[in-house]
Amino acid sequence: MARNRFVRKLNELRRDVIDMGAITLQSVKDVLTALETSDTALAERVIVNDDLIDNFDRKIESQCVRLLALEQPIAKDLRIIATSFKMITDLERIGDWTVDIAEEIVTMEKPIHIPVSASKFNELVADVKSMVADSIETYAQGNVQLARGFETRDDKIDHLYKQIVNNMVNALAQGKCSTETVADVTSLLYIIRYLERISDHAVNIGNRVCYMEEGERRYLK
Amino acid sequence: MGGEIEISIKNLNLWFGNFQALKNINIDIPKNAVTALIGPSGCGKSTFIKTLDRMNDLVDNVKFTGEVIYKGRNILDSDTDVVELRKEIGMVFQKPNPFPKSIFDNVVYGPRVHGIRDKKTLHEIAERSLKGAAIWDEVKDRLGESALRLSGGQQQRLCIARLLAVEPDVLLMDEPASALDPIATSKIEDLLHELKKNYTIVIVTHNMQQAARVSSRTAFFWLGEMVEYAPTIDLFERPQNKRTEDYVTGKFG
Repeated sequence: MARNRFVRKLNELRRDVIDMGAITLQSVKDVLTALETSDTALAERVIVNDDLIDNFDRKIESQCVRLLALEQPIAKDLRIIATSFKMITDLERIGDWTVDIAEEIVTMEKPIHIPVSASKFNELVADVKSMVADSIETYAQGNVQLARGFETRDDKIDHLYKQIVNNMVNALAQGKCSTETVADVTSLLYIIRYLERISDHAVNIGNRVCYMEEGERRYLK
Repeated sequence: MGGEIEISIKNLNLWFGNFQALKNINIDIPKNAVTALIGPSGCGKSTFIKTLDRMNDLVDNVKFTGEVIYKGRNILDSDTDVVELRKEIGMVFQKPNPFPKSIFDNVVYGPRVHGIRDKKTLHEIAERSLKGAAIWDEVKDRLGESALRLSGGQQQRLCIARLLAVEPDVLLMDEPASALDPIATSKIEDLLHELKKNYTIVIVTHNMQQAARVSSRTAFFWLGEMVEYAPTIDLFERPQNKRTEDYVTGKFG
């Protein structure tokens, strides 16, 4: 096969994107563990670790620009680079939402109390976590089949999100929250909003992977 | 495809002796657009382009079947007047080939052959053609100088001007910039974007980025077959054929 050097660099790029995905996923997992276990120290670590994600973002961006400028990639090579170039922004944004969640956790009263159905809340958390994990998997494996299921899964997450928001607003309206916990409930409203946004970025990644593999663009509805 | 078709090639086969150089080619060349032909050396793209103005007739033992429909007639028919045809469908070659004459005499060579003698008319043709080939400003004060004193890029544009002087419809270009430096090359590429407004252009190029930059449709040739023919953006962004993908990404073989 010709262009060995270029192929090697393209593989390096893909590995770096996967590595960036792995540490982003770890941040998502850590921040949700911190939420579950009221672990302020872990939340603070997530905030600090965001620098790693940002560093990857900058490094991969310049890798992409170099490959575009020097190698004139075409066809699937071009699509891999274009996908990676856009996907790192999704990962970087997931990292930022994770930091936002961590910052809420740090300010909340411990232990953290969830004033609504724990099962719905846990379901949302588990779904978002698996969406992020699967989005990175789709890129690593070029798994279009998996990516195609994202929009349906995201619809379910959106539905859960709305239900939980309603429940929380009702709890507030019915005076079920004490004065001390109102601030924490507000924090939780923010947190589930951030989780819902994280899921949107995972859908973006899935759509980008479909483009990378098949050349057809898909957009979030 | 949309738009008007200038040349329609149907089931074109061509042999040099026993060697089949073109295998059942079917392409519609759009009018007033640049169509690029790419493919490895020996794939048949130059042979194909030479079929469009019957230049392959000059090769011994050539035979062909199929149709090249231009202006409602099959130009492969034996009664085609190839001199007239080449006035309508002109060719620019890889290496600029000006005649060892003045710049002016080069440009008006064709019109003179076709019987135009009036000096004023010849001057008008020269100016119009040199302007059309984006070289007028560089040579207008030295039209009497030998064309061989021009740079390679200027010589190539002069050859294009010489072609425009006989008012063709179609310009065939066989690697027109491969012997030129990057600046001369971009002048030719800019020129193609201008020329396509009035002419139909078919260009053979080994430079894939050039095909991507100048053409609206690209055909990929491989071992005498036309493997894929698509809008250029599609061919370079999402080729449908594995051989096209391997070739355009440089992973051939």
